[in-house]
Amino acid sequence: MEDKARTLRSRWWLSLIIALSIVPPMVIGSFWIQVLTEILILGMFAISFNLIFGLMGQISFGQGAYYALGAYTTALMLTKTSMAFPLCMVAPIVVSGICALIFGFFIVRLTGIYFAILSLAFAQLVHSVIFQWYDFTGGDNGIQGIPSPILLKNPFWNYYFTLVIVSAALIVMWFITKSSFGYTMRAIRDNSNRTGFVGVNVRKHMLINFAIAGMFAGLGGSLWAVFNHSVSPDLANWTHSGVPIFMTIIGGPSYFLGPLVGSIIYTLLFVFVTPFTEYWPLIIGTLIIFIVLFFSGGIVGTLELKIRPE
Amino acid sequence: METPYKEMASVPILEVRELKKSFNGFEAISNLSYKLDPGELSAIIGPNGAGKTTLFNLVTGFHKVDSGTIFFKGKDITGLPLHVISRLGIARAFQVSNIYPTLTTYENVRQAIISQQGKTLNFYTPASRLAISQTVEILESCGVAAQANVLAGRLSQGDKKRLELAIALGTKPDLLLLDEPTAGMSGEETKEIMELVQRLNQEKYLTILFTEHDMSVVFGYARRLTVLHQGTMIADGTPEEVRINERVQTVYLGGEV
Repeated sequence: MEDKARTLRSRWWLSLIIALSIVPPMVIGSFWIQVLTEILILGMFAISFNLIFGLMGQISFGQGAYYALGAYTTALMLTKTSMAFPLCMVAPIVVSGICALIFGFFIVRLTGIYFAILSLAFAQLVHSVIFQWYDFTGGDNGIQGIPSPILLKNPFWNYYFTLVIVSAALIVMWFITKSSFGYTMRAIRDNSNRTGFVGVNVRKHMLINFAIAGMFAGLGGSLWAVFNHSVSPDLANWTHSGVPIFMTIIGGPSYFLGPLVGSIIYTLLFVFVTPFTEYWPLIIGTLIIFIVLFFSGGIVGTLELKIRPE
Repeated sequence: METPYKEMASVPILEVRELKKSFNGFEAISNLSYKLDPGELSAIIGPNGAGKTTLFNLVTGFHKVDSGTIFFKGKDITGLPLHVISRLGIARAFQVSNIYPTLTTYENVRQAIISQQGKTLNFYTPASRLAISQTVEILESCGVAAQANVLAGRLSQGDKKRLELAIALGTKPDLLLLDEPTAGMSGEETKEIMELVQRLNQEKYLTILFTEHDMSVVFGYARRLTVLHQGTMIADGTPEEVRINERVQTVYLGGEV
């Protein structure tokens, strides 16, 4: 269904992103390598959010909960147990997935603003538990000094490790969006009523998608724990849940890699702005308003309109 | 779901018994019993509020009955959920086009086919590889093949209604419920759609029940006519029989029928 021009353009974007992700770390300093790592992790987090938003048409204000669960699972396993590293990366996916299934069971019974509010409520619940359970999670101190395999202690190699995992995750999510499940999500987004009438158990499908998004959020948190070597309850807070939302809006929810573009812009802006001012929320808030008012469809959407002859 | 249903022709394809349904104290359906035989092309008419849409909503499982039973192909389907009843073989096309606006015409129909086939939990096969021939066949039979790559939201009103029908056909129904299929159409378009409906009924042995306000459509195509008024049936028979029914004439206030 794609015309040749569009396929060529997608390949151009893709090649650019691939080149930019592989080459620079070889030439830039350790600080910027870490910035790139952060861009990747948050970009994947935002793309997982977009499975719920762009693909299925609902907003979750609580994806931070699953990110935090993933981060804390990895953190706790690495600091308090001596289980093998790969296990410490797989378990968080299971934990966040199960939690997303349990919370999602209630959340998908609602839509629109009610879906959003309930997702927020559950996230605050997770935040609360992490914050208060001092003995287990370290409370508001979080968990510090998370050990990682020796090779990954070097930011250079941690970056490529993150790149491999994020790339694999993106490929899986891409296939999901192109599959019949992905199209069923679009159908539910466009017209959930009709989707029921053609024989789809809408709630069950929404729940499965919600769980998938939660699992990838958990993977993001897990990568974060390894990268940052510390985790805090903030990861589950609604302000952190807002980050993938902002990134998706900035980049454009109609495009698979839109949220990743958003992550690039958001993170780089953060890195440039915060050394000079404490008014970061003002800056990012203004940018969001600007994008929503004048660049709907996000950066990618706006560029697509300019390139596409219509 | 194209069962060799002709062999079971002694069993009504749809039977509702003593249906009752109220909304906030308003009785939409009061003690309605109705039978539909396989292969029928029948119409249900009645003034607004008579219960036609509610009947469709109950039969498809969109609303739960307050009391009464619904049988489909001899099986009790009362209380079954919407999506289960759809998979059993009942499809519905809506009066106001109920399509997927951001998907293409092709993708709209394919979605219905994939849903009926139970392939919606496939996470890896690109959807573009599924149900190609079936989708094309339905697009062609409904006259929207030329619009295959057009976003459904951008179709003309007539094409939207054709797509509406195509989506319903995608679920391979044995019983098709049509909500005012010619609403808003010109005379030419009405003829096209109704001839398609007739072809589907005769060639594919598809049982079709439709509601209409356009009496020329009803008398031109329906072989049986049922009249609802305030939630009950007040007449049932061939269109000619119903036309001369006194009660029907009173209800329609001076022979609109």
